[in-house]
Amino acid sequence: MQSRHKTAARLARLALIALLFTVATVFAQGDITTVEDSGFEKRTRPVVAFEHDAHNQKAEIYDCAVCHHVYENGEKREGQMSVGMECSECHLSENSGPMELTRAYHRMCKTCHLEKNAGPVQCAQCHSRQNAPAK
Amino acid sequence: MHELYKLASGIFVWIAILGFAAGMIGRLAHLALTARKKDPVVYQYFSLYYALRSMLHWIIPFASTGMRAHPVITIAAFVFHICLIVTPLFAAAHVILVMESWNVAWWHLPDPAADVMTVLVILGCLFFLIRRIAQEHVRYLSTAGDFVLIALVAAPFVTGFWTYHQWYGYETAGILHMLSGELMLLCLPFTRLFHMALWPFTRGYAGSEFGSLRHARDW
Repeated sequence: MQSRHKTAARLARLALIALLFTVATVFAQGDITTVEDSGFEKRTRPVVAFEHDAHNQKAEIYDCAVCHHVYENGEKREGQMSVGMECSECHLSENSGPMELTRAYHRMCKTCHLEKNAGPVQCAQCHSRQNAPAK
Repeated sequence: MHELYKLASGIFVWIAILGFAAGMIGRLAHLALTARKKDPVVYQYFSLYYALRSMLHWIIPFASTGMRAHPVITIAAFVFHICLIVTPLFAAAHVILVMESWNVAWWHLPDPAADVMTVLVILGCLFFLIRRIAQEHVRYLSTAGDFVLIALVAAPFVTGFWTYHQWYGYETAGILHMLSGELMLLCLPFTRLFHMALWPFTRGYAGSEFGSLRHARDW
């Protein structure tokens, strides 16, 4: 009898932990506020503030593949997207430095901002010292 | 602001780089041809050995009696010129911008180092400005253009420092930084800043004349 109680309590604890993890993950995904990528081992400039949902609403971007694109052999694969992947998975090859990843981010953001005459384009406009400092 | 940024980071860069390169080559070629016509002696007495010997003595700090006689200006001039050339070529933000456009990258300075070197260039400009005003024999030789040149050189560094530190109005400073840098590049071949390209030739000429003709040192 006692052991059954123990098993039930253990299961309940596990369920609670699992639930907490799920909730945390969902919230974390839905509330992206900075540009993060594990490919940047050492940050040399302040982190970039980026309200994912607010940005896309303002910019009227409803197609995830606009940013989360997939390229194969230098050609963009229409209808495919890389949501959930880190940019560094493609934009940081083994024999290149982190500059390649920086380049991918800068080109993705700046090119669009310049095309639309909207959004930040200068260094300090994104890498604001009011955000978290460089590591 | 976007339109200005596009101009400053686009067509103006090309005008500055091409104007700089064409101006440098054009003026050097013009001087070389003029010398051949009007002063052929320059070519007759030119000696690579004496030219390089003279350059070497003037590019190493305190390797000439003139430099040893004026230690303050020697240190100021060397620190100023090294920082002036190295900082823009190796500033991280500059290397990244080139990388963005052409996918070519080279070594870059750590930001704090570039920051200190920028301050040294600005202090150098102040030093040369004060020298022009305070020292009578220098003031006598100075024209309004000399003061404009100091401002022209200082401008990209002051605005770069300003935008890097993100002080009030840093966005305008960023645009002014790009524009003033381009203007300086464009003015290099057509002002006294041309000594950047001319010095090996003036030094080479003096070295050759002193070495092979007067059999004396020119340092």
